Amino acid sequence: MLKMSFIERLAVSTVATVLALLVGLVVVAVTGYDPVVFSRNLLEGSVGSEAAIARTLMFTTLFILTGVSVAIAFRAGVFNIGVQGQFVIGGFATVLAVLKTAPLLPEGTIGGVVLLIVGTLAAIVAGGVYAAVPGILKAYGGANEIVTTIMLNFIAIGAVGWLVEGPFRGEGQSAPNTERLPEYVGLPQLIYDSPSFSIIGLGIALAVAALIAVLLRRTSFGYDMVTSGHQESAAGYAGVDAKRMIVATMTVSGMVAGIAGAVFTIMIQGYYSDPAGIGTYGYDAIAVSLLAANNPLGAIPAGLLFGGLDSAGSYIGISSDVPAQLIDGIIGLVVLFISAPELFRMAAKRTGLGGDEQ
Amino acid sequence: MSRDSPQEPAVRLEGITKRFGDVVANDDIDFTLERGTVHTLLGENGSGKTTLMSVLYGLYDQDKGTIHVDGESREFDAPRDAIDAGVGMIHQHFQLVEPMTVLQNIILGHEPTSNGLVDESSAREDIEAICSRYGFDIDQHLDTPVRNIDLGARQRVEIVKTLYRGAEILIFDEPTAVLTPQEIDQLLEMMTELTETGCSLVFITHKLDEALSVADQITVLRDGEGVDTVAVPETTEQELARMMVGREVKFDRAARETTPGAPVFGVDGVRVDGDRGRERVSGVDFTVRAGEILGIAGVQGNGQSELIEGITGLRPLTAGTVRFDGNDITGMSRRRRIESGIAYIPEDRQTEGLVQDYSLVHNALLGNQTISPYTTHGFVDWGAVRDHAEEIIEEYDVQPPNPDTDAMSLSGGNQQKFIVGREIEHDPDVMIASHPTRGVDIGSIEFIHNRLIELRNEGLAVVVVSSKLEEIQQLADRIAVMYEGAFIDVVDPDTITEEELGLLMAGRGRDEDSDVNPRPPDADESDRATTTGDETGAPLRDEDDRPGTDSHNGGVQT
Amino acid sequence: MTVLDRAARNRVRLGAGAVIVLLGVILITWLDLPLSDLFTVGFLSRSLQAAAPIALTAIGGLYAEKSGVFNIGVEGFMIFGAVNTAALTWLIGGETAGQGALWMAILASLVVVSVYAVLFAVLVIRYKADQIVAGLAVWFIGLGFGPFMAVLLWGSRNSPGLVSVDNLTVPGLSELPVVGPLLFDASPLVLLTVLVTVGAWVVLYHTRYGYWIQAAGENPEALDTAGVSVARVRYAAVVFSGVMAGLGGAVLLAHAGSFTGTGDTMVNGRGWIGIVAYLFGNYNPIGAAAAALLFGGLDMLQIQFQTVGIDLPNRLVNLFPYLAVIVVLTIWGSTRVPSSVGEPYESEE
Repeated sequence: MLKMSFIERLAVSTVATVLALLVGLVVVAVTGYDPVVFSRNLLEGSVGSEAAIARTLMFTTLFILTGVSVAIAFRAGVFNIGVQGQFVIGGFATVLAVLKTAPLLPEGTIGGVVLLIVGTLAAIVAGGVYAAVPGILKAYGGANEIVTTIMLNFIAIGAVGWLVEGPFRGEGQSAPNTERLPEYVGLPQLIYDSPSFSIIGLGIALAVAALIAVLLRRTSFGYDMVTSGHQESAAGYAGVDAKRMIVATMTVSGMVAGIAGAVFTIMIQGYYSDPAGIGTYGYDAIAVSLLAANNPLGAIPAGLLFGGLDSAGSYIGISSDVPAQLIDGIIGLVVLFISAPELFRMAAKRTGLGGDEQ
Repeated sequence: MSRDSPQEPAVRLEGITKRFGDVVANDDIDFTLERGTVHTLLGENGSGKTTLMSVLYGLYDQDKGTIHVDGESREFDAPRDAIDAGVGMIHQHFQLVEPMTVLQNIILGHEPTSNGLVDESSAREDIEAICSRYGFDIDQHLDTPVRNIDLGARQRVEIVKTLYRGAEILIFDEPTAVLTPQEIDQLLEMMTELTETGCSLVFITHKLDEALSVADQITVLRDGEGVDTVAVPETTEQELARMMVGREVKFDRAARETTPGAPVFGVDGVRVDGDRGRERVSGVDFTVRAGEILGIAGVQGNGQSELIEGITGLRPLTAGTVRFDGNDITGMSRRRRIESGIAYIPEDRQTEGLVQDYSLVHNALLGNQTISPYTTHGFVDWGAVRDHAEEIIEEYDVQPPNPDTDAMSLSGGNQQKFIVGREIEHDPDVMIASHPTRGVDIGSIEFIHNRLIELRNEGLAVVVVSSKLEEIQQLADRIAVMYEGAFIDVVDPDTITEEELGLLMAGRGRDEDSDVNPRPPDADESDRATTTGDETGAPLRDEDDRPGTDSHNGGVQT
Repeated sequence: MTVLDRAARNRVRLGAGAVIVLLGVILITWLDLPLSDLFTVGFLSRSLQAAAPIALTAIGGLYAEKSGVFNIGVEGFMIFGAVNTAALTWLIGGETAGQGALWMAILASLVVVSVYAVLFAVLVIRYKADQIVAGLAVWFIGLGFGPFMAVLLWGSRNSPGLVSVDNLTVPGLSELPVVGPLLFDASPLVLLTVLVTVGAWVVLYHTRYGYWIQAAGENPEALDTAGVSVARVRYAAVVFSGVMAGLGGAVLLAHAGSFTGTGDTMVNGRGWIGIVAYLFGNYNPIGAAAAALLFGGLDMLQIQFQTVGIDLPNRLVNLFPYLAVIVVLTIWGSTRVPSSVGEPYESEE
């Protein structure tokens, strides 16, 4: 892996994003739309109104959590592409746990808080276990985790999709949805009056990011993990059991993905629907993490950027003719540009803009 | 090839200069190879021998200087040009594709075809002709994958490959590094025969005796500069050694009194499997006492690495026990072994001993993750770790003395000193050192040797593995010679001669003419390649002892 | 690896294979499945159709990996192949596009995809992009711009019904039992896949280019010192892999007759399955194609289940190939990967 300074990483991330947006604008222009209108829509859709800001922060919350989940794995050298599946399984587990536990508890705030905790714990466990599976298969069976986690994404979506269509479809639901969570289970609206965003959700995301940052930087477990990612043989020399570390990494990563799933269920949706249509947060998280150089704190600004993009995407989908899928393509381009820092280094050298190091 | 002017030398290099960044690998070097002779390039690791020959072979472009082959001025942009001009190189790291057969390897890049398909039968005829002309035996094994033949045979495949491409000027890059003494003799003989059939050879080495035994002329390089070129009859080993290192070198062993104490560490009946599940260590016993250095000698690939990995807890044993301080620690995890005072200087500092893109501070924690004061209750005290790093840098004279430098920017010698310092500062009871001075500059070698002897005098039990005979003889109180997974003998360094040791390392009872055998004991060599960074057991990538050059595919090492 | 090692590993694999077959047999007898109704010539022919895109992708992917570049972006290239073919069919032939328009569209889309593949190759070879990240990016770009193009053209993520490829009936040969209906009264694209498979095998093991590809992935330095440009060999292999995956996508579309852009698009993991198919086939084109046939068969089981009246929910039956991939990877996961995969190679300073 190429060694980069903090400034270089920041530069690469910024240039990659700007370049991807520029390509997006070119596509807009080439396909016959007005890039100026499109840019204005981007801004309006992300920060143009209180509702837009709330929507941006809602997406940001999910991107921070899923991004941190990916970052943990990537830092330890494990390619967990399965955050989407762990996110779905975690979110669905929240619904199940809350619906099954609710009748046993009193209604009201206290019951609500307990159910929140139960639901989140269920998501953490479910996400962790679902991620541990490919970890175990990699550590003890040599199965490439990129492929197994992607397969497990398809399986999670298919299986949960079948569950919400059939066995767990809410009574009298015409759409394939589960029953709604009880009304008193939810995060309070404090600042923004939005049914699907609570500043507490964002607070949880920030806290998780900070916690994981401390875990990676200040604990011997984190040191073991990061060292395994940098140089597995050196980690082994220093007493790290590589196989166990793979499983542990996947589990922690899946647990964070589970939290993301719980937040999605509790804060945004309030029930579970066919996961084929809930959004690809787990995949976009890969871009978030890479943009953040796999740093959990870096996932905060990166998550904000992607939150803004996604928010603008849903606005554009409604208020203009430009297909919203463009945003997904732009995210893909960001990832593509980040994959080749050498490209920028050479470009920088050629244009004489720095790049004298190395 | 034009032969009409017999006065023209086969190769003439004039004023070759080659830089890698700020490092001058070759500084204005002249070199002349006469027809039908062997010309040795002699020098320490990192003196620029391989770089010079890589320029001749078209792997590098020189910054300055000219190349003449057979009297004609040449520009080689790529190996292909050199090959076309009749120059071939037998690389130190064999350039062979292991899963492909011997025949496929020989013809790679020069495949005869008919109807678009590779014509293996016509290739076979050509190869057999070459083999009978020069007396090679590998035509018996043309359809064997290279990974299944032993190192000596691989080297012959390399030579035949070069001849198949029509080379008459052959460059041998450290060809003896991986061979047993008997195989070395065979090779040197073969080189003489090659010159008799008209080939001209360049022989790169850092071993004085080999240089003297086969060469007609010797050019000595030091720090990228040509020191002198001498004709063999007119020089001596002492003179060459002085030219190589710039000062007189003593070969004697420091005398010291031996006072071994109680047994500290030992193994009984240890067996270990290699990466592919084949047994590499077949029943080894030894005991090391306090205040004693046990040296384990042997040609690379006879199970030393697996033995050490087994006793340090990096590789499971299939049988046997490990004892430490009277306790059976066979089932103890690697981490517990570190904590209980077994220090280990690993064979491969690049991939195991240091995390290359960590600072020295972060590297100071490597292996100490669970040890107070660096870590308490799972939380790291980076202040304490930094102090520790600074201590090591100071005590062990690590250059540059900056704890925030990345490990990869240190030279090999300084990397090794940092590791040695870190392991000694563990305050261990046992020190296991695997090739502690491989690829390390002379000054650091002395320093590291002195530290190991100090440890022994302080009463530690020390195990040193090395394939360098002089190192083993200087350090060890007892020498165990390992051959094909077992100790063939344990000897006293004061009474054994180097020749006897060499015979032991070759397995003594082994057939004199070791021809191409499918190689059971070395079968695992190939997969260790990826973990130790080197398939032939030859020195490591950073051999240069220079920063910033190892991105060049190992080609710059000399 | 010695003969003994190989034998040992083969024993493990054979054992594992036997266990899988045994489980299958137990399942079939336990559920009392009517075997003869399940495994019909029609089923085989549908399986071949389903396998063709996977096999083409797998063959391309194994060439790239053999040469030392892990092209993890094949799923993305399949999406490009499919959506471009659909779009071009529509642009050439409109709503009433016929066979001619379809074939022209397939060819044109291969040209377009080869341009993408060249860009990708430059990025990973010249600019040493992280092969895994760049490959994922190709997938994401496909997932974004594929449906984007569909919405642009048809106002929906799915295309209207376009045209699917007609069967090619070879007079005489089609009368042969079993083989006749399978190959000679079938989609010409299936026949093409068979030809590509055999051709890829011959090139890999019996031409100099094949030797070079193997050497580039195992020991690029050996190839370089033999005077062959490693970069050129890798460029050729990576571009070939992109084009083959594009062809795979085009074949998928030509068999389906319309583009689906919802969810993970109509490609829906087939590129990833292709990667597993060549691992399973031990990097041998014929082995990869055989593995693709296995996955294709699993994909088509659902129709067989319906015809014999087994009532399993579609959504679950659709998951069989993914489950099979995980099982296969776990048992065969430690296939020997070419030594130098993923490492950029620089021949000079």
